[in-house]
Amino acid sequence: MQMKKLIALGLAALMSTTAISGATAQPINENPLSDPRVRQAIAYAIDMPTIAETIFEGAAVPAVGLLPDGPNKPTDLNPYAYDPDKARALLAEAGWDSSRELDVVYYYADQATADLMAALQAYLADVGITMNYRLLEGDIGSQISVVPDDPVNGPSKVTWDILYGARAALALQEYFNRYAYGLKPMIPNIPRMNELVTKVNGTVDPEVQREGYFEMEHIINENVYQIPLYYQQLYTYESDRLHRNDAPYGNEQYNYNWGVENWTIDPDANGAGILYTNAGPAQFFEVPWQNLGIWVHNKFAFDTVLEADPVLTPIGGEMAESYEVSEDGLTFSFTLKDGLTWHDGTPITADDMLWSIKTALKFPLTHPVLQSTLKKIDGAEAFVAGEAEELTGLSADGNTVTLKFTTLDPNVLLSFSQFAPLPAAQFEGVDPLNLQQAPFWQKPIGSGPFMIQDVVMNDYTTLVPFADYHKGAPKIEQIIARPSGDNDGNLLVNATAGKADFGYTKVAGDVPGLEGLDFMNVHPIDIPYTRMLWINQFPHPTN
Amino acid sequence: MLTYIIRRVLILIPMAFVICFLVYCGLELTPGDAVSHMINPDALGSMDPAQIEALRQSLGLGQPFYVRFWSWFSNLIQGNFGFSTNGGVPIANIIATRLPATLELASVALIFSTVIGCLLGILSALSRGSKADGALTVVGMLGVSIPEFFFGLVAILVFALNLGWFPVGGRSMPSYVTLWDRLPHLVLPSMVLSIMLTAGVMRYARSSMLDALSRDFIKTARSKGLPEWRVNLLHGFRVALTPVVVLIGFRLPVLIGGSVIIEQVFQWPGIGNEFISAVRSQDYPVVMTIALLSVMAVLVASLIVDVLTALIDPRVRLGE
Repeated sequence: MQMKKLIALGLAALMSTTAISGATAQPINENPLSDPRVRQAIAYAIDMPTIAETIFEGAAVPAVGLLPDGPNKPTDLNPYAYDPDKARALLAEAGWDSSRELDVVYYYADQATADLMAALQAYLADVGITMNYRLLEGDIGSQISVVPDDPVNGPSKVTWDILYGARAALALQEYFNRYAYGLKPMIPNIPRMNELVTKVNGTVDPEVQREGYFEMEHIINENVYQIPLYYQQLYTYESDRLHRNDAPYGNEQYNYNWGVENWTIDPDANGAGILYTNAGPAQFFEVPWQNLGIWVHNKFAFDTVLEADPVLTPIGGEMAESYEVSEDGLTFSFTLKDGLTWHDGTPITADDMLWSIKTALKFPLTHPVLQSTLKKIDGAEAFVAGEAEELTGLSADGNTVTLKFTTLDPNVLLSFSQFAPLPAAQFEGVDPLNLQQAPFWQKPIGSGPFMIQDVVMNDYTTLVPFADYHKGAPKIEQIIARPSGDNDGNLLVNATAGKADFGYTKVAGDVPGLEGLDFMNVHPIDIPYTRMLWINQFPHPTN
Repeated sequence: MLTYIIRRVLILIPMAFVICFLVYCGLELTPGDAVSHMINPDALGSMDPAQIEALRQSLGLGQPFYVRFWSWFSNLIQGNFGFSTNGGVPIANIIATRLPATLELASVALIFSTVIGCLLGILSALSRGSKADGALTVVGMLGVSIPEFFFGLVAILVFALNLGWFPVGGRSMPSYVTLWDRLPHLVLPSMVLSIMLTAGVMRYARSSMLDALSRDFIKTARSKGLPEWRVNLLHGFRVALTPVVVLIGFRLPVLIGGSVIIEQVFQWPGIGNEFISAVRSQDYPVVMTIALLSVMAVLVASLIVDVLTALIDPRVRLGE
């Protein structure tokens, strides 16, 4: 048994650091998908450019590598361009058993994904691989994320062969963090990747991080641990009535310096300067710590501590007048601007910040990057476990809040550029576990440029300018948000009727209809969001 | 009759309990729970399983299903509908805000379809074999066979987007104060909902009327020299009304359950829309409460139909 483990470890180490050749490539266990040649064959068998042009109507960018294009991605990755002959040759070399049926699973219920599955089935069949696909429903986590007891030999606790999913990242480390020891449900541990995950998470030096990203991308690319399929774009749509007045376009899923307070809108037929948008709340406003900037009404209503630029690089303070990071990176402090108030006129205080940080730490649905930062605050573990009343690494002096971390976190500034504090006084007696269930979320009191005026759940929400906004009162007179979200036919109906002047969608199917409106302008925006296939290399039970 | 009604009302309670239990069992068989709905699958791998489990426990989702069912039911009989698992909103508030919207939409559709359906059905029967009868029969068949979402989309395209006569959806706008302000929003969804209901009532009224007109008592009435309108309406239609009343009675639950499709197409913030959201997000307390209301509506409608049938048709004796 020990010998088997040693051989597996040795092979894994070999695979992780060398390019695959016929001489070294072989399965590392009885699962043929642990053979890199089989995984390469699958990559070669898929004609992603054609899929992007047909199924996604050009609204998808075929992916090479996990990371989006940019300075952190190497340019010499193998694109695995469509080559069915090469795929067949690799399968023959690997001794692929053509009677084996692959169980492919996915969890997106939209039509484009179902079409993609059918296309993948056809492409794989063309090279001699049979696959069936099924939609996962219900408790997805227990079906895709459970890790094996033995991260080296398995068996895997998930039952599928291939999973179609995505990685949407706020911080680039998110693409790779699950390669840390014991966190991958489907890939045997790769020692070098463990080291590299530690490396990119343990430094704030972008050059060191870049080295790590380059090496990880090469390892994954050469061994085909994952098959990136395409980069999902985000589409902002704006009617001709709306003028952003040189404000930048950025990743709308998060908070950035979109300058909404300076936007203007032409009067409608009744002479009113109303901006219509979509995705208004249907049942409640979501806590803005969960999906950060994904809900436009939350971005209108809440400010963040720091501010990020369109590609989410922190650029300065928003609610904070100033901030400081110690030389060792273990202390972060920020000072609030004077005179800030919540929308109900009560002052925003350092106590609100302390309460918000402590509550976000205990709130189970806080965004993983933000959560990861907060968990590194000194005393966080005991505080979350309920063993300590106070968070020892968190303190305030006047308007200055200081956080002391036990370990370096490369994303402190990024996290606080997305962190919207809440008014503590509104949550007396609320258990952080059940924060989302608080009555506050029926009509929140925020700190941002617009304040929530009327809420008729699932019908409309109105927002009006916050006259005391610290960057100056917004110019748009009123915002009306209807509840239609993306991937909802009512979005296009509302847009056609002139009831959607601004919004964004990631659904490729929405784009042609929006582009077809002669008064609508659609802007594609590159975001870190990669759709991919995960291949289960462990021996595993079948579904 | 009073004894019969009391007996039926008493039977309603155990029936509602059993049906609710079966609905709860059905929900239990669906995979996942409210917490699994709260988390984007893309982010699942990065979440803290211990904290997620703590959330699940804090919402009472970790208990055996019969414990959860009994907790829900015992609260219910004390008048406590409970809270939405996802948003923490008291379910009584959800019902209070959503039910009026559905009642408004369904009442208009029900009244309209009943009156128009009966009138057209009688006309069709009285002019049996004529071009008008043929045309109404075709219209009725189309109304019954074409899905309501299709009518809805066509209505939006023509009357809202092309002609601009009505809004595309929603129930109200910030500046609205009275029902009159909201009326333009009500027209399209209520008329589309009416189409299918009208077609059904018309088909039923026609065949019942034809059946009634072929009976001996109609010939007797005519032989007595009664005017034709009196024979048709007072003698014929009264008898023909019985199956129509049954049909309409069994449509009363629409008032509670709403028309899910119409509410979705027209962005109508009613109980049907809420039900769909609650089922999707596995918000059991909300699903169960709406299901209970629907069950009660069906059972009460059944009782009303029985009583009305007895009142209309002297041959029917309740409780015998």
